[in-house]
Amino acid sequence: MSRDGLKGSIGRVSRRLSVAALLAALLVIAFPVPSHAYAGPGAGFAVLSSFWTLFVAFLYSLYALFTWPFRHLWRSFRNRNAYGKAKFKRAVILGFDGMDPELAERFINEGKLPNMAKLREKGTFRRLRTTYPAISPVAWSTFMTGVNPGKHNIYDFLARDLSSYLPFLSSAEIKGPKRQLKIGKYVIPLGKPIIKGMRKGTPFWHWLAEAGIFCSVIRVPVTFPPEKFDGVLLSGMCVPDLKGSQGTFCFCTTRMSNDKYREGGVRVPMQRENGLLRSYIPGPEDPLDSTKELRVNFEVRPNGKTARIDVDGENFTLKVGEYSEWVPVKFKSALGMGAHGICRFYLKELAPEVGVYVTPVNIDPARPDLPISHPVTYSIYLSKLYGPYATLGLAEDTWALNEEVLDDDAFLAQCYQNHEDRERQLFDALEKTKKGLCACVFDTTDRVQHMFWRYLEEDHPAARGVPLAQKKEVIQDLYGRMDRLIGRVMEQVDDDTLLMVVSDHGFKSFARCVNLNAWLYENEYLALKEGKTESRDWFEDVDWSRTRAYTMGLNGLYLNLKGRERYGIVDPSEADALKQELSAKLNELVDPVSGKVGITGVFECDAVYRGPYVDNAPDLLVGYGGGYRASWDSVTGRVTPGVFEDNVKAWSGDHCIDPRLVPGVLFSNQKIAEEKPAIVDVAPTILQLFGLPLQKHFDGKAWKLAESA
Amino acid sequence: MLALFTWSDLFATPLAIVIWLSLVIGLLMVLLFAWTSDQKAIGVAKDQLKAHMLAVRLFQDQISVVMKAYGRIVRGTGRYIRLAFKPLLFVIIPITFLIVEVDRYLGWTPIETAQSFLVKVKTSNPDALNEVALKLPPELVASAPPVHVPAENEVVWRVTADKIGAFDVNVAASGQIYTKRVVVSPGISRLSLERLRAPLWQRYFSSAEPELQDGPVSSIAVTYPTRSLRFAWMDWNWIVLFFVLSMIAGFLFKEILGIEI
Repeated sequence: MSRDGLKGSIGRVSRRLSVAALLAALLVIAFPVPSHAYAGPGAGFAVLSSFWTLFVAFLYSLYALFTWPFRHLWRSFRNRNAYGKAKFKRAVILGFDGMDPELAERFINEGKLPNMAKLREKGTFRRLRTTYPAISPVAWSTFMTGVNPGKHNIYDFLARDLSSYLPFLSSAEIKGPKRQLKIGKYVIPLGKPIIKGMRKGTPFWHWLAEAGIFCSVIRVPVTFPPEKFDGVLLSGMCVPDLKGSQGTFCFCTTRMSNDKYREGGVRVPMQRENGLLRSYIPGPEDPLDSTKELRVNFEVRPNGKTARIDVDGENFTLKVGEYSEWVPVKFKSALGMGAHGICRFYLKELAPEVGVYVTPVNIDPARPDLPISHPVTYSIYLSKLYGPYATLGLAEDTWALNEEVLDDDAFLAQCYQNHEDRERQLFDALEKTKKGLCACVFDTTDRVQHMFWRYLEEDHPAARGVPLAQKKEVIQDLYGRMDRLIGRVMEQVDDDTLLMVVSDHGFKSFARCVNLNAWLYENEYLALKEGKTESRDWFEDVDWSRTRAYTMGLNGLYLNLKGRERYGIVDPSEADALKQELSAKLNELVDPVSGKVGITGVFECDAVYRGPYVDNAPDLLVGYGGGYRASWDSVTGRVTPGVFEDNVKAWSGDHCIDPRLVPGVLFSNQKIAEEKPAIVDVAPTILQLFGLPLQKHFDGKAWKLAESA
Repeated sequence: MLALFTWSDLFATPLAIVIWLSLVIGLLMVLLFAWTSDQKAIGVAKDQLKAHMLAVRLFQDQISVVMKAYGRIVRGTGRYIRLAFKPLLFVIIPITFLIVEVDRYLGWTPIETAQSFLVKVKTSNPDALNEVALKLPPELVASAPPVHVPAENEVVWRVTADKIGAFDVNVAASGQIYTKRVVVSPGISRLSLERLRAPLWQRYFSSAEPELQDGPVSSIAVTYPTRSLRFAWMDWNWIVLFFVLSMIAGFLFKEILGIEI
């Protein structure tokens, strides 16, 4: 009998049994005998569980109901009517990471974005000046704090350790617990890991909450670790995966290869055993023994064009090219310790070789081992309400597409699965925040443009040999999708609500790479160890005793300054002259192949930034021209032969260039008078519209609405 | 002694039977629940209930959100009960029969020697009361004259047992003999509280003996003492204890087996 047939038979038998049981139950009910009223634990479970739930909920809501007037009175007294001077009772901010004003305008003019057109016509559409550099963690930090990077301390995804020249994540630091018990080679942690947020400054929703205005904040970048305030917040970009990285996928395959992925992924061998395939998901390090890695094993049972996957007590069947739902996994250590995560499986191939891609293991929002929301229960609430969702900061696995583990379609499917989760979270927040602030950032715009820009250009090196028509519509579809989202939000917005759509930066092509370290080497600012003509990652072959300048990350250029860097040689008195020399040489740097200008601006950070954390900034910011960006090697401190090269990776669009070339967008349902708004103005504007005083340390200025201008 | 129960209770005592029965039934019921229920739907329903409860906490200062969440909790509870109802249908019949049967052993204790008890005979009309006579076997002795309760059509005798055993008490009325079994024992025995003439379902729940023949006597009852079990420093009716222990066992097994309840 086929599986379906068997299922059908079981279903019919089950239905008949149900009817028989129902009749028998009715007989019992028809002849009740009080002393035998209890019908076993099954009934007990149903009655007790539901009754208990109801009872607790009832008690709590009763408490909430009866204490509400007192709390309301207290809050009114404390906040002296929070909305008294507010121009709107609600502000809704949709953050579309990387939405480009040129593309938006083009699609609007072509009639493809009716809702954005409506906002442009009846409200506002402007280019939104971005930060120096135009990188998401920097720009969103400025968005939320209303200050320049010199006051919030975020200059890039990465910052450098002055003693080792090695990078570390600029936004958060995660350390082991303070107290540990050492027994032989084992170390038992006595407490929770210490997570320290590195972003300084106060997000504007803290000022709102302090004034009694409720705020729902969803996935705004650089909000990990979540800070306490009187509202709800789900952390966004910079939340790590369970390994502590910014996203490490694994590809389990029977294909033999010793190649390693450059970044963001690991290859795991898959063993065949009597038609069964075994592999594992690498996890975090063992909390008891840091030399060991925790793993979760899984099995794959191919069956024709599908395969059944068994992992951690769950099993599911996938077709080739299909994703699983989120699967909970527990990485178990001794003494009952371990870590809870969720991941998705993608069956890449089944014959002749077998390959299974597993997403980075996200922190399980229903059982977060690290705080990813405020309060902690908010991530749990969303997970219980809508099911598991991606919690990793960079949830869309661009590395897997870059490394060709995922193809375009698989990557897009992953992006839009995450996007749909985010939409549900936004609409729940809108429902829960009838008054106050509701801010939600969508990353899909950024990730899809990064990876699909190559199909917008006829001669992009990353699209050579690919029929252009194949994916030409992806970015246009993306903008259409975002437009429809705006439309649905507009339906829920009344005249007493301010709606803003902002992006942190725009986008440009990334067709050519500039290895600035190679340029520094060629121009004798950076020296290599004796006999070396190249350097491996993170300056492994750099001779610091003869190096005057180096670069790492996306836009920062650093002097090897005496008294600051461990092996610094540049005397502080010579620093200004050296900076000017570098600026003069780099500015207008021409690509010998194309004849185009590869660098359109070099900015001295002392002039661009002001604030208590300026010392942590790079010395110079390099603004690449349109079509150019720091090379993949340069970002990781590698020195290669040649300064310019083609970018052939799927990551083919970028914004880490001259900030003047990549402004973001500002749409609003209100007419804003400001002609040249900047992202730094958003925080003061929101405070002012809610009638709150502006903070003295703000660098941005509050916009006036056209009517009152 | 400060102990939940003594070690000897673990074997062949009424308490031991209840404990083992609770464990076995707890396990079986959990398995049956898993087999007959839509586990995924129950999981979702429970998660949503939890979410709405968390909403009450998270948005406590927004009374409209709290009230809406409360409404959703009520609806969610209804959905959960509906999902749990199907397994309940499968469970209710066998458990009811099991409890009735086990109750015959554990609900009451047999008569002990020298212990007096009542034999109650009900007649179909008050006129028949004067015709009823009790005929006891030698091992049982009437210790008081019969008491007539015309309002209830009932005659009551106080009787004492001299020896251990199962004895038949005969009741004579209108020339017919009606028999009822009386058990005198220090241990666990299957007891029938009364013998009666009634429909099958009514008889099943209170009698373990055949139906009385037609005639003026409608039932003969023996007042066995109710049994209570000492557990956790308290006296328990076995059904209540079974309820508590089987629930605990069920919740333990559902955790071990990963079953949504």
